Amino acid sequence: MSCSVRLDGVTLDYFIYSVRAQSLRNAVFNLAVGGNLYKNQGDVTVVRAVENVSFNLVEGDRLALVGHNGSGKTSLLKVIAGIYEPAKGRVDIQGSLTSMIAHGAGLDFEASGLENIRRIGAMRLIPKKVVESRIDAIVDFSELGDFVRLPVKTFSAGMMARLMFACATEFDADILVLDEWLGAGDASFVQKASDRMHSFVDKAKIVILGTHNFGMVERVCNKVIELESGRIVFQGSTEDWIALRKH
Amino acid sequence: MEAIQGAFGDIIWGVKLAPLWLKLGWEQTLARFRRTVLGPFWLTANLLAIAFALSFVFGALLGVDWRKNFAMIITGILSWGIAGAYLSDAANVFISAGDLMQTMKLPLSFHIFLMMFKNFINFAAQLIALWVVLGLMGLGAVPTWELLISLPLVLAIACLVSLIIGMPATRFRDINQTILFAVQLLFFITPIFWSPSQMGGKRGAILSLNPFAHVLELVRQPLLGRSPSMIHWEWGFGTFIVLSIVAMGMLVLYRKRVVFWL
Repeated sequence: MSCSVRLDGVTLDYFIYSVRAQSLRNAVFNLAVGGNLYKNQGDVTVVRAVENVSFNLVEGDRLALVGHNGSGKTSLLKVIAGIYEPAKGRVDIQGSLTSMIAHGAGLDFEASGLENIRRIGAMRLIPKKVVESRIDAIVDFSELGDFVRLPVKTFSAGMMARLMFACATEFDADILVLDEWLGAGDASFVQKASDRMHSFVDKAKIVILGTHNFGMVERVCNKVIELESGRIVFQGSTEDWIALRKH
Repeated sequence: MEAIQGAFGDIIWGVKLAPLWLKLGWEQTLARFRRTVLGPFWLTANLLAIAFALSFVFGALLGVDWRKNFAMIITGILSWGIAGAYLSDAANVFISAGDLMQTMKLPLSFHIFLMMFKNFINFAAQLIALWVVLGLMGLGAVPTWELLISLPLVLAIACLVSLIIGMPATRFRDINQTILFAVQLLFFITPIFWSPSQMGGKRGAILSLNPFAHVLELVRQPLLGRSPSMIHWEWGFGTFIVLSIVAMGMLVLYRKRVVFWL
């Protein structure tokens, strides 16, 4: 089965509503005066988080999204994951997609690690049998041992990252979208995670990784996109990007 | 055109995800009563307490034996759960699903179905208790077959209303507050613990225009072993058609927007 990710001129706008704009009374009042008041008063602020981004990924590509805080990495990842629909442009995804974007997202903190593995499996509509057959592998990879029986609220950030990453990669998916929370793991786990992402290529899959970790980019990815204020400022192979950084 | 397809696609996808919201709804209901002693019987205790209290007070006010109206009042309160009381949850449906909406791509209708299924579990759990209590008191009745049509209709209406309220309530946070007191108001102006026959003249005529009253009777009458009269069916199906059009229109216009309003 072939998979691909294709973005064409994707632009994403956030509308930030102030307290005033969220009030119905003001909206009704503004209707009466033609609706211009909002903009004049700056109650709705439009933030262009991603502007005119296009790229094409095919089987075996591992893309790193780099850039400063607030450069639009996470927003772009959310567009790719289908959580936000872009204001302009097209997103074309072929193949099944798994996204692990926010740290701890989708985990039930009251439930145990094991229950959460089953829950994540269920959320992704994976048959119960398949989930049960992968539990050992997930526990093994995450190195949580007996802690997996405790509620997730007792886990450290690194332990949660391990659990989420193990679930994300152990259940089959063609496209993996990950944000920088992976960095919460310790050095040995980051190494282990990089190795696993590398092995995804053998299975002809796509990885998209938002990161600040230079070493991670170098080890895992073959393509790099650097964002600045939502625009692409660099797009090319990892070698070129590293060469550029060294100057 | 694409937006219209998207709106229908949203509903169809939500229906297809039934195994997921059935499972989640069940789990969340169990989790809600985690570490409580009475568990789901808290719902029953609540229903019984209100029904007994209202029967005593109104029986005394009207000068009749409290048992006379007890069956009507308790089934009325139970039916209100799926006929109107869900409104306050509906206003918060997307706000409380915000975490999930920002981590996973799911149709809007999924969150509505999940909420309504949890509401239905409450209804079913209370219904069992209701039959036990009424049976013990010798007031029980066998439900009529109309329930098989009216219950899905009432639940569908509830889903549409939730969608129509949930979307703007995410954008305008005043709506949630308005709904909170509107639900209380509706509880009194809908014949839940009084009967329309006690309300004559102009006031009665105005109150008979309340669609919630008709929707309520569609559930209550079959539970009391009576057939709902034609007027209730007409109002029920009429409401359903009007709400469907409004809900689809809102989905077409605002479906993509909701996640940005959170």
